[in-house]
Amino acid sequence: MTRRGFLLGAAALPAAAASDPGFRLVDVTGAAGIRFQHNSGAFGAKYLPETMGAGCAFLDYDADGWPDILLVNGMDWPGHRRRRSTLELYRNNRNGTFTDVTREAGLAVEMYGMGAAIADYNNDGFPDILVTAVGQNRLFQNTGKGHFLEVTEQAGLGGRSSFSTSAVWFDFDRDGHLDLFVCNYVKWSPEHDIFCSVDGSRKSFCTPEAYRGSTCWLFRNRGNGTFEDVTAASGVFDTSSKSLGVALLDYDGDGWPDLLVANDTQPNKLYRNRRNGTFEDVAVHAGVAFSEDGKARAGMGIDVADFDNSGAPGIAITNFDNEMIALYRAGRGGVYSDIALQTGVGQASRNTLGFGCIFFDADLDGRLDLLAANGHIDETVRNIHGNVGYAQPPHLFLNEGRGGFRDGAREAGVEFAAPKVARGAACGDFDRDGDVDLLITTNQGPALLYRNDVRNGHRSVRLRLVGTKSNRDGVGAVVRLWTPEGTQSRMVKTGSSYLSQSELTLTFGIGGRERADRVVIQWPSSRVEEYKNVAAGVYDCVEGQGIKPGPGAR
Amino acid sequence: MRAGRSPTIGLLAGLAITISAVTVYSFYTIGQLSSLRQRQSQVIDRNRADSLLLLRIQNDLNSAALAMRDMLDATEPYPLTAWRGQFQRMRVDLEDAVERERSFSPSDRTADQRQYLARSAAQFWDALDRIFALAESDEGEARARIRLSLGARQEALSTLVSRLLVQNNENEKQVAVETQGIYARAERNTYLFLAAMLVVVLVTSLYLVQYNRRMFHQVAALSERRSELARQLISIQENTFRHISRELHDEFGQILTAIGAMLQRASRRGAAMEAPLRGELEEVREIVQSTLDKVRALSQALHPVILEEAGLEAALSTHLPIFEKQTGIEIRYQTDGTGQVDGSVAIHIYRVLQEALNNVARHSKSTHAAVRLRYLRDAVVLEVEDDGVGFGAAKETHGMGLVSMRERAELVNGRLELLERGGGGALVRFTAPLSTEEAHAGV
Repeated sequence: MTRRGFLLGAAALPAAAASDPGFRLVDVTGAAGIRFQHNSGAFGAKYLPETMGAGCAFLDYDADGWPDILLVNGMDWPGHRRRRSTLELYRNNRNGTFTDVTREAGLAVEMYGMGAAIADYNNDGFPDILVTAVGQNRLFQNTGKGHFLEVTEQAGLGGRSSFSTSAVWFDFDRDGHLDLFVCNYVKWSPEHDIFCSVDGSRKSFCTPEAYRGSTCWLFRNRGNGTFEDVTAASGVFDTSSKSLGVALLDYDGDGWPDLLVANDTQPNKLYRNRRNGTFEDVAVHAGVAFSEDGKARAGMGIDVADFDNSGAPGIAITNFDNEMIALYRAGRGGVYSDIALQTGVGQASRNTLGFGCIFFDADLDGRLDLLAANGHIDETVRNIHGNVGYAQPPHLFLNEGRGGFRDGAREAGVEFAAPKVARGAACGDFDRDGDVDLLITTNQGPALLYRNDVRNGHRSVRLRLVGTKSNRDGVGAVVRLWTPEGTQSRMVKTGSSYLSQSELTLTFGIGGRERADRVVIQWPSSRVEEYKNVAAGVYDCVEGQGIKPGPGAR
Repeated sequence: MRAGRSPTIGLLAGLAITISAVTVYSFYTIGQLSSLRQRQSQVIDRNRADSLLLLRIQNDLNSAALAMRDMLDATEPYPLTAWRGQFQRMRVDLEDAVERERSFSPSDRTADQRQYLARSAAQFWDALDRIFALAESDEGEARARIRLSLGARQEALSTLVSRLLVQNNENEKQVAVETQGIYARAERNTYLFLAAMLVVVLVTSLYLVQYNRRMFHQVAALSERRSELARQLISIQENTFRHISRELHDEFGQILTAIGAMLQRASRRGAAMEAPLRGELEEVREIVQSTLDKVRALSQALHPVILEEAGLEAALSTHLPIFEKQTGIEIRYQTDGTGQVDGSVAIHIYRVLQEALNNVARHSKSTHAAVRLRYLRDAVVLEVEDDGVGFGAAKETHGMGLVSMRERAELVNGRLELLERGGGGALVRFTAPLSTEEAHAGV
């Protein structure tokens, strides 16, 4: 071999490795029968909510073990009615296709929906849906018979009009009943819309500085199907916040769920649970309120996960273009440091405006990768910032271990990497092949389903938790899984990302291994269960009853 | 002639003055710079830190104003007390900022002024606490108080902070002007210093140039005087020699010749004289003859009369055989061309020849020598060459012989060359003008 040939060969080695990430994300939207089209209601007035929606979710509404899909929709503005648009629910046909069951499920409701948070708040075994909206949020209770009942008023959530965005179900008082936290963006109504312009003549979308903040809400589940507004009593009341994303985490490791709220142009909030029904904001102390140079960024989507397998949750927050994604790693004394630049995530995301973001193990190698769904808010942005487009390719930062990330979106799939005006993002294994598939929504466009085909032989352990003493969904439970490569940890959590929610089943990539050495589940009720030699596969873990292969497991 | 005063002391003094000037100036500059740095850190940096903290306070006050507006708007379905947490967060930040601001506040602010901000802030929080307490029983009254008193307090605080910011701004501007002044002064001083240094260097250089010129002239005059003396010496020597030579030749020669002739006559006449007496007379006559020969030889040696009477070539022709006979060194004599050498020049050529041959005899260890006389258009060239050991060290040590040869060459404005021959041996070449008019023309 000539020297030149050798050098070329050596240079080609990493390139060859880079071109095959071991998995493909295949656009199966059409094949799966998903024909959703988001309606922002845009008619030229450029109302602020038009560019912000909408979200999506994976949920198993019929509890058959196959994830179904909920897509949130907007509607035409009053006085500009042209067509009817509603939420859409797609049932998983268990063969890679879906059936639109919106009407049968009773969800063909017109509303200016933004996001969704899904959990079994009444512990009846069937997931219930909260849809956030511009106007009145709605709570749909799952009857368990393929049908939903709107119980907003009965539950005590009625009579409120706001610009709600992401929401999270969690059991902050650990009484076994899931409570609800709802983010509100700004004080906006069509009557009080403000004229903003980038070029001085045509109207464009205002940045949130133009509007006043709006407090988030916290509703305590009384356990009888009704909720109590504890926003003020719990201390999360804050009229300066302009919140878009919220993630559940146990910041201080005390077993009590804390919340991290991503605020747009306002400091982020880290509400530490003081275990007495109140929260305190420790974001400044924890170093997540501002960017490293002290600026409040335009926080959009958010996710929290143990991406470095250190046992402590790290944080990703998507921001505006020219602000970079924030990637926080937990340090000593509860102080986070932004490692976006040193991991390569910062530079890669400098020119993108991110919304949905999810930590998931795309290639099942046991290291969490990071998806960021991108898209600008203004279609004329190209005229102002030449390097920033309206439609933008998503980022799929593949975790290479040792603190390095590489954007592998293009290698994962050309269709996947195509620019889009993405907003929501959720993940779930809809085809039950053991890997994690993706659902991405676009503003005023389709929802896109990407099937993940892991081709490198990697396998996974998937766990669906069912609480008995704890809340039925096991939200807040922390699962640790040991393999010779290290220890992974995951928390069962609703919310996260942007306006969206992923399936609650946890997926641990175990690479080429047959089994995990050990699995430890720490339930919100404080109960700890340990299982040894757990083979790859999908399991139901019922609190206090052990684990067994899940329904339909192969 | 008076020797010039040595410039060393003056130069050393100048150097000392220059070094001390540079040192003084350096200390001055360093002093200016450190005062500038001090000003920078004490005033400008401090001012900036203070302004940042004031901005932070202002930001908190603005947040408070927004929150107060939200409270008054009553669009939220929450009691006024719900805002407690929000205000508590602002309070923590604001009090921290006020505390820090106090340590950064410009030094010209009085203690009273420094206390004022903290006191006003404390009054604001006290008022707020009272309003929250009141809100638990009477929201309407609490709202009224927010609108009337708390709003005013907030505005007063905000105005105060704005004023402090403006003051900081003005301070900064003033310091910038002062800094500018310092820079300008330092710049002017630098130019002055450079100009002074330039003048010092210029004066010193001029002084040195002048001094060197004077020295050069002195050396030239001395050299001239020395040459003149040498000329006079040689000329006196030649005159004396010629005079003595004449006297010896003309007077003593005549006398001795006469005595010889008389003795001869006497001996002829006194044939009848007793043999012993005749013998003695004969002895005396021989002594006289020998004396006459010696006198003539001495006369010849002191000043070859033949030189004046028959010219240079005749003198050489006479002298060379005598030299050969005296030393046993074989001499090859050549002449090339013809010319009339002035007497005043000829004597020096003759003397140079004598000296060169003496050197051959004394130092060369050679048994052969060549003498060449070559006439050019207006000069004559004498060459004395041997195949001996060469000049060796003699040329460097400037033996008296060589010195006198050079003097003579200079005297006639000729040129003396001492050359080493390739295969050993020495060549003395003396080029002289034909007459002394030419010889002195250049002097």
